[in-house]
Formats: sequence, structure tokens, C-alpha cells
Amino acid sequence: MSGAALAVLIVLGPLLLAGGFVLGRRTARPERNSDVGTPVERATFETLHTASLAAPPLRAGLTEESARKAARRLRSLLGTDALCLTDRERVLAWDGSGEHHDKQVMAQVEGLLASGRGTAFASGCGDLDCPLRWGVAVPLTVDHRVLGTLVAYAPRESAVLARAAGEVARWVSVQLELAELDRSRTRLIEAEIKALRAQISPHFIFNSLAAIASFVRTDPGRARELLLEFADFTRYSFRRHGDFTTLADELHSIDQYLALVRARFGERLSVTLQVAPEVLPVAMPFLCLQPLVENAVKHGLEGAVTTSRITISALDAGAEAEVVIEDDGVGMEPDRLRRILRGEGGASTGIGLLNVDERLRQVYGDEYGLVIETGVGAGTKITVRIPKYRAGVHGT
Amino acid sequence: MTGEPASRQPAPRREVVTGEPRRVRPLPRYRAQAEIEEQTALGDAYVRSLMRSQLRAGLTAFALLALVAGTLPLAFATLRDATAVWVVLGFAAYPLLTLLAWWYVRRAERNERDFARLVKGRPVP
Amino acid sequence: MSQSYTVTAVTVVVLATVLVGGFGLRISRTTSDFYVASRTVRPALNAAAISGEYLSAASFLGVAGLVLLHGPDMLWYPVGYTAGYLVLLIFVAAPLRRSGAYTLPDFAEGRLESRAVRRLVSVFVVGAGWLYLVPQLQGAGLTLKILTGAPDWFGGVLVALVVVVAVAAGGMRSITFVQAFQYWLKLTALLVPALFLLLAWQGDGRPRVDLDLTAAVVGRADHPLYATYGLIVATFLGTMGLPHVVVRFYTSPNGRAARRTTVIVLALIGAFYLLPPVYGALGRLYVPELPYGTDADAAVLLLPERAIGGLGGDLLGALVAGGAFAAFLSTASGLTMAVAGVLTQDVLPSRGVRHFRLATPLAMAVPLGGSLLVSGMPVADSVGMAFAVSASSFCPLLVLGIWWRRLTPPGAIAGLLLGGGLAFAATVITVSGAVRSGWPHALLAWPAVWSVPVGFLAMILVSLATRGRIPPGTNAAMTRFHLPEVLMSGSRKGSASVSAAGPGEGTGSGTGMGGAG
Repeated sequence: MSGAALAVLIVLGPLLLAGGFVLGRRTARPERNSDVGTPVERATFETLHTASLAAPPLRAGLTEESARKAARRLRSLLGTDALCLTDRERVLAWDGSGEHHDKQVMAQVEGLLASGRGTAFASGCGDLDCPLRWGVAVPLTVDHRVLGTLVAYAPRESAVLARAAGEVARWVSVQLELAELDRSRTRLIEAEIKALRAQISPHFIFNSLAAIASFVRTDPGRARELLLEFADFTRYSFRRHGDFTTLADELHSIDQYLALVRARFGERLSVTLQVAPEVLPVAMPFLCLQPLVENAVKHGLEGAVTTSRITISALDAGAEAEVVIEDDGVGMEPDRLRRILRGEGGASTGIGLLNVDERLRQVYGDEYGLVIETGVGAGTKITVRIPKYRAGVHGT
Repeated sequence: MTGEPASRQPAPRREVVTGEPRRVRPLPRYRAQAEIEEQTALGDAYVRSLMRSQLRAGLTAFALLALVAGTLPLAFATLRDATAVWVVLGFAAYPLLTLLAWWYVRRAERNERDFARLVKGRPVP
Repeated sequence: MSQSYTVTAVTVVVLATVLVGGFGLRISRTTSDFYVASRTVRPALNAAAISGEYLSAASFLGVAGLVLLHGPDMLWYPVGYTAGYLVLLIFVAAPLRRSGAYTLPDFAEGRLESRAVRRLVSVFVVGAGWLYLVPQLQGAGLTLKILTGAPDWFGGVLVALVVVVAVAAGGMRSITFVQAFQYWLKLTALLVPALFLLLAWQGDGRPRVDLDLTAAVVGRADHPLYATYGLIVATFLGTMGLPHVVVRFYTSPNGRAARRTTVIVLALIGAFYLLPPVYGALGRLYVPELPYGTDADAAVLLLPERAIGGLGGDLLGALVAGGAFAAFLSTASGLTMAVAGVLTQDVLPSRGVRHFRLATPLAMAVPLGGSLLVSGMPVADSVGMAFAVSASSFCPLLVLGIWWRRLTPPGAIAGLLLGGGLAFAATVITVSGAVRSGWPHALLAWPAVWSVPVGFLAMILVSLATRGRIPPGTNAAMTRFHLPEVLMSGSRKGSASVSAAGPGEGTGSGTGMGGAG
């Protein structure tokens, strides 16, 4: 190559460079009044969009699947060569090149998991072609607990990446915190339902067994029958599958309950059941009627010297079933009942009523709470309305 | 329809009592779905195969019905034999429809029995 | 004249309905026999109830009238009414029951998880119910006019009042027994006179009944073949969507029972439909002068008096009249219940029994107005239109909803609006009398042939175009629809099934209560 050519190149080179630079600036200059946004705005939108895409998977919590989906979005958010998400034990997802690093990741973040402070490290990769020479690891925290880490890799040390990774980790942490909140809310509702499930009173179990025992000698056949009823009844009441049942099953359980009660009180209790067969398949919350019947039995036996009458009817009312439980017992003082239904009745009284009222409202809405007609010495009539269909309520 | 004995004087009065509105939101849907999930664990593939066999049974019966119902009016129009129309539509059609229904129910129930056997024979997940 | 007997028969039927509806025929039991006796409604009883509710004025009067007037081609009506149950059995019965839905809107919401679809379906249910109610009221008016000379509107108003009072007062409690009884009443009311009529015909030396097609008194349509196909499509596919039919399936304890119930329904309805053609044929012989138009529907009512005469004829006529009123009342009350239920749940604000009572007059007022405004249409024809609307909207929704996983809410909406909407529009145009002849009239009067495919296509295409909107619970819903009960209770009841699993496991313990037995 001749010297002249070299000289031309030296002169023209910078000139071309300068021209290119000017041209580039000109075309890239933000147009202030553009409707479609400046490049900075566009970049912001893109970032926000990517972030919004990454959020839904994270709302499911930090699992392998959610990490895999989120890692892709997060890497494009950070613009790095590789990104890795871990929990406290293992690598959950690796996105980008250089996956062979994932063996060392857990060792490199060990200190971080203990201290909760971000760290940076040289990847120390033996493969010289590997672009991942440097990494930054930041914690993902929920409630001050380190749930996992986010590790971003770059060809060389970069403060910008370190800062960006920190911000992204903070954003991910917020999402995880929300996920935790979702989960605990669900857990709360479930725990509430479990707690709300009527408990069979120990008295009842004791009394039933005592009544059955009294028949063992005099009438072994009856005792055996009652014991089977008792077994069936408790099995139903203690069952663990599903929150819903059918009206048929519920009434059957009540029938068994009444058989046990009658074993004890005999003629003092007269029960009439009126059931429209049309409503037997209706799905309803588990053990919603039994506490009401128990209530009626208690009221009936409390005052009456003579026979106490209880009427249980299940009627077809168009799109609803209407269950009415009525007794001619001592009744209740309306104001006290109001307090009970407000949850101010004290520990021992009327827990069953409150419990049923709450569950009905929880499943069907406020307009399906218990309607109770009562007065002191006037007996009690409890009306329960159950919609024949409600999305999500399926009895078996 | 209060069951009070008439002897109790003066007749005590009843009041209507309801709980206060709690503004509870009905339970979220996913809870119910979680419950169904227990059954879905039986396996989507299993359910799909059951649906296919039931649909086959249904389509067979329907095809037969459609074929007959589709050609009869044409046949009547070309034959122009009123007695045939009376005999076929007035009498013969009903037992045939009932028989076809009976056949379908037998087949559908057999499908379900076979399916239940298949699913129950499999180790519990 | 046989007026006094007729009035007595009609009064008895009306009074019985009011009393039973108002006070409720309740089944009182002591606890001991409760479990054994009331394990839900047995298929045979439920089937009789479904048949009782289904056999309407169109079946009781309309079929014979049409056959009398237009010849044996009209026999496609009863065949279609029956075959509709076969199609319902094949594609819908068991899965619909297993879905737990009480009404069609329930089904739509449960399957598609969309309130919008639910509301749209509600509108169609109310529309189809009203379309079906109009001819019931018209038929009642006609019956009373023919038999007692009462003014045209009187019978319709009477039926409307009775139904509203009965439904609003008691919600027609324990309706299953009443409806089942109505079936047997209707069957008897046609069967006994028919036997006597045949005897009388025998006694007259068996005059030849003119069965010929060419003997048709008036041409029914410009394109009879097309009309026949329109009728076939509408009745075969429309039955599954009729609101009072769907509601009845809820009473079955489970899907398997729903299927068996449907077979019995087919047999019961088939048995009933053997009779109206007899009246139609004999009507050609004994009441040939019946004026054209709707009055042909009166053939069934007039025949006993004409063919037999005397006291026997009067009594048989009264029996037929009572049966006809039973038909109006049972179908009308079933429909009113269904429509009022949907009105309270989905159309009117807020809920509660009181509102249900408010909705009942509304559910009846509109069709009553319609029946007074629009007269001069054969009963069976106007019923055919309700079938067409149902076939073009609910049939695609049910069939695709039960068998096709890719159905989406937008797809369902598109299908309902296009299929059902077009069929409805065609009905309105036909009734308004804007188009009276030629192909346009045929196409509009029997829309099912084109509107059903439109409904299906719209649902499928729009669903495919909106794949992203497939409801998340689709697989769970499909499992629920199709899984046999044996597996459902087995997996759920856990330990309870241990006690139930006797030697006959897999065939017996289907019912909800059986599992706990």
C-alpha cells in the first residue's frame, strides 16, 4: 500500500466519521412535537411493557415455572447476556447464554443468602470464548426474608447493570410480596371455612353413646342399629372432602341425628319432615342445617314438659330451595339473638346459628342469611334459602 | 302455621330477626375450582377418551336419525302415497324413536362402565 | 248443548290447579320412612311430569287441527316434538344434569364463566318462553269460545289469571306430582273418547276416511317440502332449549337417571301422539265443514258431540275439554315458572321470593298481550316458531358447550345473536304479516333450516378467532359434565364409599344419597 493512499485514508477517515456522526445525530434527534413519542419515551414504554409482561407469572410466587417465564422478560428488561433466578436452594431458571455457569451460582450467592446484601463477582470462567466474565447478584426479599436471588451476567464489570439489577430485584420483590399476600388471603379464607365447619358437640357424642349403651342389654338389635347410625353420622360430619354437599345428604345426616336424639328422649320429641323431592339434588354448604336442628331440639326439650314438636320442611321455590326448621320450644329473646348474630353473644351460646349464618352469607351473599322468627316462649322458626345453582357450588 | 299450643296465654309474639349485612363478597371462584381439581387429577386424557367414545355413540344415533328424517320427506314427495305417510309418521315412528333412544342409553352406560373400570384399575396417583 | 258439562269439567281442572298450587300438595313423612321413600324423584315419575308439562295445547288440539286441514304431512309435528327428546338425550341430557345448572343461564355462566353470556341467554329464554306462551293462551281462548260461546279473549285471560295466582301464591309446590298427574289426565282425556269415536265409526259402517294428500283443504305453503324440512330442523333441535324442559332435568338425582328419564319420556310422549292423528282423520269425516284457519284446532273438541252425540257425546266432550285445559295450565304454569325465575334472577334487580311473586304477573302479561293482539295463527305454527328460536340459539350453545372445549364467550354471544336473533327477527316479520307469499315467506316462516347453521357457524368461527378467551375452567367443566357418577362419589366421598361399596359396586350407588348409604 502506497504512502499517498494512506494519507488519503487518514484525511478522509475522520471526515467520513464526522459526516456520519452528524448524519446520525440529525436522524436520531428527538422530534419534540411527535405524537408517537420520543425515543426516550418509546424506550420507557417498552420497559414498562416488558415489566408488565413479567409481572403475572411472578404473582404466582417463586416457582420453577414462574421463574422460567419471568426470567425471559427480566433479561430483556436488563439487556444482559444472561440472567438467572434462584430460590434458597437451587437455580430455578437460566435465561440467555452460558448455562454451564449454573453449577457455580449457588456457591457464589451463598454469602448473599446469609447476609441479604447484594454482591458482584468475576465469573472465573475457564472457557475463554464465554462472554460472561462478570456477574452481579441481588437478593429477592419478602418481609425482610431473602426468598432467592437474581443474578445478571455481563462481559465486563458494569455499574449501570449493578444498579439496574438492584432496581429490578426490588420490583420483583414487590411482585412476590403481592403473591404472598394473595396466598395468605386464600389460606385465611380456607382456614376460616375449616374453623366455621360446625363442630359436633362433645356432649352430643357422650349422650348418644350413653343412650346406645343403655340399649345394649335391653334391646341389642336397636343398640346395633343406633351404633351404625352413629358411625354414619359422625363419618359424614367429620368428612374432609369438599366444602359442599347435597340437600339429600344433609337431610339424611339430620335424620340420623334425630334417630340418635330420639333414642335418648323417646316420646318427648315429635319430628315431622316435609320434603319436596324436587329439591333433594340442590347443592349446598356442608353441615348448614344440622346445627339449626340441634338448636331446635335443644329449645324444644328445654322448657316443654309435654311433647315437643319440630317441623323440618324443604320446599321448592322456583330457582331456590326453601328449608324451614320450626319448633314450639322456649324460643329466644330477639335482642339476645341479634347480639348472637352480630358475634357478641359470648363463647358458648348460639355459636351454631352464627356459624351457619356466616357461611351462608359467605357462599351466597348477604341476601341469603338466616331469617329467624322467634320470641320468648313463642318457639322458633328458622328459614334458610338456598339457590338451586350458584357458580362454583357443586355438591356430590 | 306456628306450632304453638293454644293453652299458652297470652300468645307470645314472634319477631323476625336477621343478621346484619356483612358485605361479604361471595367466595372467589378459584376455591371451587381447586375442589374440582381433585377430580381433574383423574387425567385430562382419560376424560377426553371418554368424551370421544360418548360422542361417537351420540353421533351414530344422530346420523341414523338425520338420515331417515332427511330422506323421508323426499321419499313421501315422490311416492305420493298417503297411506304410507300415515303408517310411518302416525305409528311406526314412535316405537323406532324409543328403540333408538334405548340403544343409545345402553351404549352410553356401557361406555361409562368401561371407563370407570379403566380408571379404577389404575394405580392411585 | 253440552255447555254445563264442559263448564263443570273446566272448572274442576282449574280449581284443582289453584288448590294444589296454592296450598301445596306436600309429602309429609315421619323421619323413619324418609330415607327409604324419598330418595329423590324416580325416573318414571319424573318422566311423566316432564311429559305432562311438555304436552301443550299444540299437541292436544293443534296437531289434530293441522292434520285435518292439511293432511298427513302435518304428522311431522308430533314426530318432531318426540324426536327432539331423542336429540336432547343424545347430546345434552346427562351432561346438563351433571353441570348442576337449574336454568340455561346457569349453564351458560357455569360453562363460559361470563356474566355477559348469562344475561344474553336470559333474554333469549324469556323471549322463547313468551313465544311459547302465546299459543297456549290463544288455544284456551279458542276452546272456551267453541265450547261455551265465551268471547275470544276470555279463555286466555282465565288461564293467565289461574297460572299467575297458582304460581305466585305457592310457587307450585311439589309440582312433579301435579304434572305427572296431568300427563295421565291428558292421555285419558284423548284415549277414552278416541276409543268411543272408533266404535262409533265402526258402527257407522266404517265410512272411508279420505287420507289422500290431494284432499288437503287449502294449500299450506308455497314450498311444502322446504316447510317440512324447516319444521324437522326446528323441532328436532329446538326441544333441548325450551325453558320448562331444561328446568325439569334438575329434578333427576344424577346424569344417569336423567338419561333413563328421557327414554321413558320418549315412550310416554310417543304413546300420546298416537291419538291426535286419529282425531284429525275422523275429523275429516265428521266435521268437514270446520272453517279454515285457527278454528280447525277445535276439531278435537267438537268430534265427540258430532260423531257420538247424546249424553255420551256430551260427557266425552267435557272430558276432552278438561284435558285441553289441563294442557294449557300445565304447560303455561311450567313456562311461567321458568320465565319468572329467569326474570327475577337475571333481569329484575335484587332477589327474593317477593320479587319472584312480582315477576310472575310480568312473565304472563307480555304473552297475554301478544295473544290478544296476534290472532289468526294456527296454534301448532306459533309453537313451531318458539322451537325455531330455541334451535338456532340454545342448541348450538348446549351442544358446543358440552362437547367442544374451544368455545369462548365471544363465540357464544356471536352465535346467540346471529342464529337466535335472525330466527327471532324472522318470526317477528312473519307474525307481522309483512311477507305473505313466495320464497321469502317460506324462508321467514320456517327459518330453522338456515338460522341453525348460522348459529353454529358463528359460534365456531368467532370462538376460533378468539382462542385467547377460552375460559380457564373449561377442562374442569368438561370433567364434571362427562365423568360418570360412580367415579364422582367414589373420589370425593372417600371413606363413605367403603360402606356403600357392596358387591354390586359400579352399577348401583349412583345417587347423591347412595354414596353415604
